[in-house]
Amino acid sequence: MDLAFSSEDNDFRDEVRTWMNENAPRDRRPRELVAMREFDLAWQRRQYDAGWAGIGWPEQFGGRELPLTQQLIWYEEYARTSLPPIDARFVGLAHAGPTLMVRATAEHQAFHLPKILRGEVVWCQGFSEPEAGSDLASLKTRAVVDGDHLVVTGQKIWTSFGPVADYQELLVRTDFDVPKHKGITWVICDMKSPGIEARPIKTIEGGQEFAEVFYDEVRIPMSNVVGGVNNGWSVAMSTLSFERGTAFTVSQVQLSTSVERLIEMAKSRTSINGRPVIDDEALAKKLARARADVAALRSLTYLNISRNARTDQPGPEGSMLKLQDADLTKRVYKLALEVLGTRSLANPEEEDDSYWVDRHLLSYSSSIGGGTSEIQRNIIAERVLGLPR
Amino acid sequence: MDLTTSPEQDEIISSSAAFLRDRLPITRIRALFDEPSNVDDAAWSGAAELGWFVLGLPEALGGVGFGLADEVHLFREIGRGLATGPFLSSVLGARVAAFAGDAALAEAIGGGQRVGIVIPGSSTLIGADGSLTGPLQLLDCEPDGLALAVAPDQAVLVRVADLTGVAAVPCIDPGVRLRRAEAAGAVPVARVTADVDPIQRRGHVLAAAMLVGINEAVRDLSAEHAKNRFQFDKPIGVNQAIKHPCADMAVRAQLGYAQSIFAAVATDEGRDDADYHAISAHLTAAEYADISAAATVQIMGGMGFTFEHDAHLYCKRAFVLGQLFGGASSQLGRLLDLPSAR
Repeated sequence: MDLAFSSEDNDFRDEVRTWMNENAPRDRRPRELVAMREFDLAWQRRQYDAGWAGIGWPEQFGGRELPLTQQLIWYEEYARTSLPPIDARFVGLAHAGPTLMVRATAEHQAFHLPKILRGEVVWCQGFSEPEAGSDLASLKTRAVVDGDHLVVTGQKIWTSFGPVADYQELLVRTDFDVPKHKGITWVICDMKSPGIEARPIKTIEGGQEFAEVFYDEVRIPMSNVVGGVNNGWSVAMSTLSFERGTAFTVSQVQLSTSVERLIEMAKSRTSINGRPVIDDEALAKKLARARADVAALRSLTYLNISRNARTDQPGPEGSMLKLQDADLTKRVYKLALEVLGTRSLANPEEEDDSYWVDRHLLSYSSSIGGGTSEIQRNIIAERVLGLPR
Repeated sequence: MDLTTSPEQDEIISSSAAFLRDRLPITRIRALFDEPSNVDDAAWSGAAELGWFVLGLPEALGGVGFGLADEVHLFREIGRGLATGPFLSSVLGARVAAFAGDAALAEAIGGGQRVGIVIPGSSTLIGADGSLTGPLQLLDCEPDGLALAVAPDQAVLVRVADLTGVAAVPCIDPGVRLRRAEAAGAVPVARVTADVDPIQRRGHVLAAAMLVGINEAVRDLSAEHAKNRFQFDKPIGVNQAIKHPCADMAVRAQLGYAQSIFAAVATDEGRDDADYHAISAHLTAAEYADISAAATVQIMGGMGFTFEHDAHLYCKRAFVLGQLFGGASSQLGRLLDLPSAR
């Protein structure tokens, strides 16, 4: 066991840090959706031009195929430099793209993957439906084969960046007469197709990324089906372990940075009784405990990355990281509001402290998005401990 | 960077687990319950022969020369097995003797002489000369034996015979022996400052390792029960009210393990944030084991509330281990005062 990085890895860290410091976007990330899209894509292009796009992608698809420890270093430095969130680039880089790598035809790969890496397109996900949340396989958006097209009618929801996306990884039901997992098809949907309407859904922190998407007899070429008709469930599941342990590194470094900033704030600010905020013993203990819990979460990341570097089949431990990351994210940003005290009441648009209020509001999503914490607990209990379903 | 176990560590895990299963099973707690000593002499000698008490001591000082990260895996098994006897304080005691230059004492401890530990009270003081003063409690100390007293900056060994008013008191944990005592400037037989060897830091990490073992043990107890206990014609584990606490135990066990080995390796590598990680390991492992053990009592239902079932033994040991080296309150204070981790 060792914690020391090799001299090669340390050189890599220096190189990454230098590049990030010199190339970090100077402008604030816009809140308006179209401008946000352009900002995110420009940032992706900048990384691509410097050879930093797809650090975990295989070389054959244009990626860097860095070893896991260097991916870890990249994400650590990324978070420390406070670079823009992956948001609009997430589905393309971390979900749809990797799915295409393992399941799509060479033609699709050659067409789509370079566009994702170069920051030319935004992908969104069309999985959840109003009646299919955690029970995703019960989805009902219907696709009927009509000659060499699928004709799609139905509705998706919680589609981040839906209104500004170019493509969608879309799950549709192509067979209603078989067990639910067996009648699903994974298809590439061009979001500019006639019959698609994406309506924004405003989120609790005022964000505009969310949408519900309606499909009214949308015609999608059969050639856009990936993995074969009615094989969509296995296609959708093929990407779940792509990240191999690095997925929450940015979030964890942010958590650790946040706890340190909160401790500084608690020392330098005065509470309503005229004393330093940190003099509140209960609050001080919560801050100390947050330090310890964040340390343990980062250690688990290091442990998972160490294990995954030795195996091609990452285990369900990723669910543990996601679960604990969500719980801690909510706890730390709630703690931020305690440090702010009455300042947290201010309108987030106008105050310097808005960052913390924003983070707190956003933190509610951490235990819902990408598989709820309840589902993560089911996965851990059933796949790690062998409890009955 | 690699936190996976080495073949040597895998060997430590399997051999120590087998030894404890055969020689010092949990049933020994009940068998020795009415005895003045909780130590099984034959098992203790066996552990000494295996080199357990000097495993992490440098070879130059008469030890096996393994690292703290190796010792963590031994102590995780000791915790899992709720092994009785002062393993932690004897291992630390051997270090104090060795680093203080008392090779004979270090060898004696390595060979099976036992060292208990002082649980300081609010007015217990280890002076600048290492002398011990004030009312205190003794954990697993024998009247004619040695006691280890630890502070963040130093650790000392004192003779229990040099203390006054030594009297046995019942302990919350039936697997340990507690005594009350008074020290009036007891002179140490050996003393080591933290800059020579950070005894408290190592103590935090090894206590954490034992707590991780406890967390893993109760996780497994709960999961087995959730699979095998039927109510309403179904195993109770199908219910999320049972399933989710079990999942949380698994997460806490992994987190505690990860932080323990991180802290151990940070110590072995002499990182400047080793104290930060060691205290974090002890704090998190203690809290996580405490919550998991309590949840296990609940999952066991009425059985969990009986003396006959083992669940309470894990709860009580977790509580005792959480009290070592200052307990949570003082550890939180120390952690907050440290510079941030790397």
